[in-house]
Amino acid sequence: MSKKLLTPEELVKDLKQAFKSKIKDAKIERRAVGVKKKERTALWLKADKESLHDIVKHLKNYDYPHLAVVSGNDLGKTIELIYHFTVYYGNPLQEILINISVELPKEKPVIPTITDIIPGALVTEREKQEMLGVKIEGIPDGRRIFLPDDFPEDVYPWRKDEKGPQKMVRDLYEVKK
Amino acid sequence: MSKMSYSIPIGPIHPALKEPVMFEFEIEGERIVGVDFKVGHVHRGIEWIGTQKNPLQILPIAERICGICNISHPIAFCMATEEAAGIEVPERAQYIRTITAELERIHSHMLWAGVAAHEIGFDSVLYLTWRVREKVLDLIEYLTGNRITKAMFTVGGVRRDITEEQYPKIREALNYYKEMFNKLKHVFLDDKTVRMRSRNCGVLTKKEALELCAVGPTARASGVKKDVRVDHAYAAYGDLDIKTVTPDAVTGEAKGDVYDRIIVRLLEVAQSVDIIEQCIDNMPSGDLVTEPKPAKLLALLRKAVGEGVGRAEAPRGEVIHYVKLTGEEHPYTWKVRAPTYNNLMPWIPMLMGEQIADIPIVAASTDPCMSCTNRVTVVKKGRVDILDHEHLHKLSVEKTRRLMQ
Amino acid sequence: MVLPKSFKRSLWVFHINTGSCNGCDIEIIAALTPRYDVERFGIKLVGSPRHADVLLITGPVTRQMVEKVKTAYQQMPEPKAVIVVGNCGSTGHTFHTSYNLVGPVDTIIPVDVYVPGCPPRPEAIIDGVVKAWLKLETLEAKR
Repeated sequence: MSKKLLTPEELVKDLKQAFKSKIKDAKIERRAVGVKKKERTALWLKADKESLHDIVKHLKNYDYPHLAVVSGNDLGKTIELIYHFTVYYGNPLQEILINISVELPKEKPVIPTITDIIPGALVTEREKQEMLGVKIEGIPDGRRIFLPDDFPEDVYPWRKDEKGPQKMVRDLYEVKK
Repeated sequence: MSKMSYSIPIGPIHPALKEPVMFEFEIEGERIVGVDFKVGHVHRGIEWIGTQKNPLQILPIAERICGICNISHPIAFCMATEEAAGIEVPERAQYIRTITAELERIHSHMLWAGVAAHEIGFDSVLYLTWRVREKVLDLIEYLTGNRITKAMFTVGGVRRDITEEQYPKIREALNYYKEMFNKLKHVFLDDKTVRMRSRNCGVLTKKEALELCAVGPTARASGVKKDVRVDHAYAAYGDLDIKTVTPDAVTGEAKGDVYDRIIVRLLEVAQSVDIIEQCIDNMPSGDLVTEPKPAKLLALLRKAVGEGVGRAEAPRGEVIHYVKLTGEEHPYTWKVRAPTYNNLMPWIPMLMGEQIADIPIVAASTDPCMSCTNRVTVVKKGRVDILDHEHLHKLSVEKTRRLMQ
Repeated sequence: MVLPKSFKRSLWVFHINTGSCNGCDIEIIAALTPRYDVERFGIKLVGSPRHADVLLITGPVTRQMVEKVKTAYQQMPEPKAVIVVGNCGSTGHTFHTSYNLVGPVDTIIPVDVYVPGCPPRPEAIIDGVVKAWLKLETLEAKR
């Protein structure tokens, strides 16, 4: 790659310049490992759900962002989605892990798809739909992926509220009398 | 003449290895024009189970996410938890983690090489590689006490030491692999049969690999230099002299076909041997674990608040775990992503345009946590023929024979 | 050495993974390959339950696999034996509480031999197959 690699600080500055108040919180985490104490870097961002699509598009200016996975938290009133991207892979020890967190209100958990930017996001977006009950707008293929077809419609395994899987749970150790 | 397409469902039960997956292929003549897959036949709800247990109870479950990558998953989980709770790992423990992870890579790649040979009907090579693989299993058993699930890790370190008295046996096994390497290289890379079945078969271009987020040897064979060990320091890898393996080192260019994936995995076996040697040469002294008393460690974890991401390079690609601790007994969230998850989508461009007989080797070439196929229903003009794995395997073997003539 | 009577016929095995972690599965393959080499006794994996004498099951049976296990069992000709390899198929083991599991295997189809271990060593799997073999011989003798 011929492009100059930005340091994590420059990357945050550039992102903040481009998105201003849309990026609320940014912190850089460094961890040293081994005897030589080489560092790895992770970036934690909080972003507006409306601007997520644009941020992902913007990441392409640095490098083709590799979407590792989208993880999710049920925070009670909101659902948090965390997009884990990596950029600058292929450059020894300079890869940056970018975690972008967005919060969706539980009444209307809708977020636009990013499969138009990164087609490989489809699997993880399908998983979020069935596991958290998030609606991904514009997803090209909205079927279930891991759960069986006869799984109840309104049960989402990662939810902590009444839509959680509690009523589905079986204990295999249980002895029938 | 109008072209007629028919669909073949394959799976989900198959007799040889690994997990069930169901494919549905749209076929025109012999050519695949549409691919769809259904995964999740082995969905056990592990992430949910994890939120019902404390971090030390999760460790055995993390090991049992995958019986083959049972070092990479606990290592990623431990790193995520350590990051969330702010625990530092002693240097010696990091080196021991690296050694066990590389032993796992050798055993997994040998396993894969055997499976790949089986898929093209080359069973003598299956037996050869699996015999060679037993040597590393013996070493793993000698070092960790078990052949498969190793129970080596705990949050903040490792549970067993690798001592100086054990070095001679490690070196002996490594030398065995150094000797075998040239033989295996000859068997896989110079053999006419293997080359004919794997060259230009199941191609994944660099652009597709990037767009579909491929990981591990699948991505590297397509020329994407992505290796967590090199790019993102963890355990002892930051100290070591390692380079990302891509097939252009041997052939001059990365085509992204099955042959290239064989090259990457073979070279990685040699690389793993080298890494283990570097580790035992430079092994630092010190503690094995930050907090040796489980009760104290649990109390520490119960108080911790934070989130962390652990990434490790498993034999099949990047493993990533996300853990959120909220100061409770159990982690609030645990998200696991295995490499095959990202290597599902790349199957589609790989299989498009290939023949039915190529399905087993192409599907197996990403080293998925599922491998060969069993029951095939051919729906053709309203007539339903059931083909089983043997027929599909036979088709594959026949193609090899045909090419040999 | 005189082989016992039970070795007079070769035994064909069909293997289903119903949600296991692959640990048992790779040990089953290890039992078939040169170090342990059960193929010298004629034991081999076959591609269809219709050809099999023994059904090897690994894993705690997920919701998706219940029907498939039953079908495979019904397709097998008599006499037949079922072996569960590994702890999770026998009891549920670490996965015992989950929303997507239906098992253990013996609540779905009758099981003859349990091979404990996580995963069991190839020697233990071979021992399980031999036990199933004895059972098949007994069933055959009764007919």
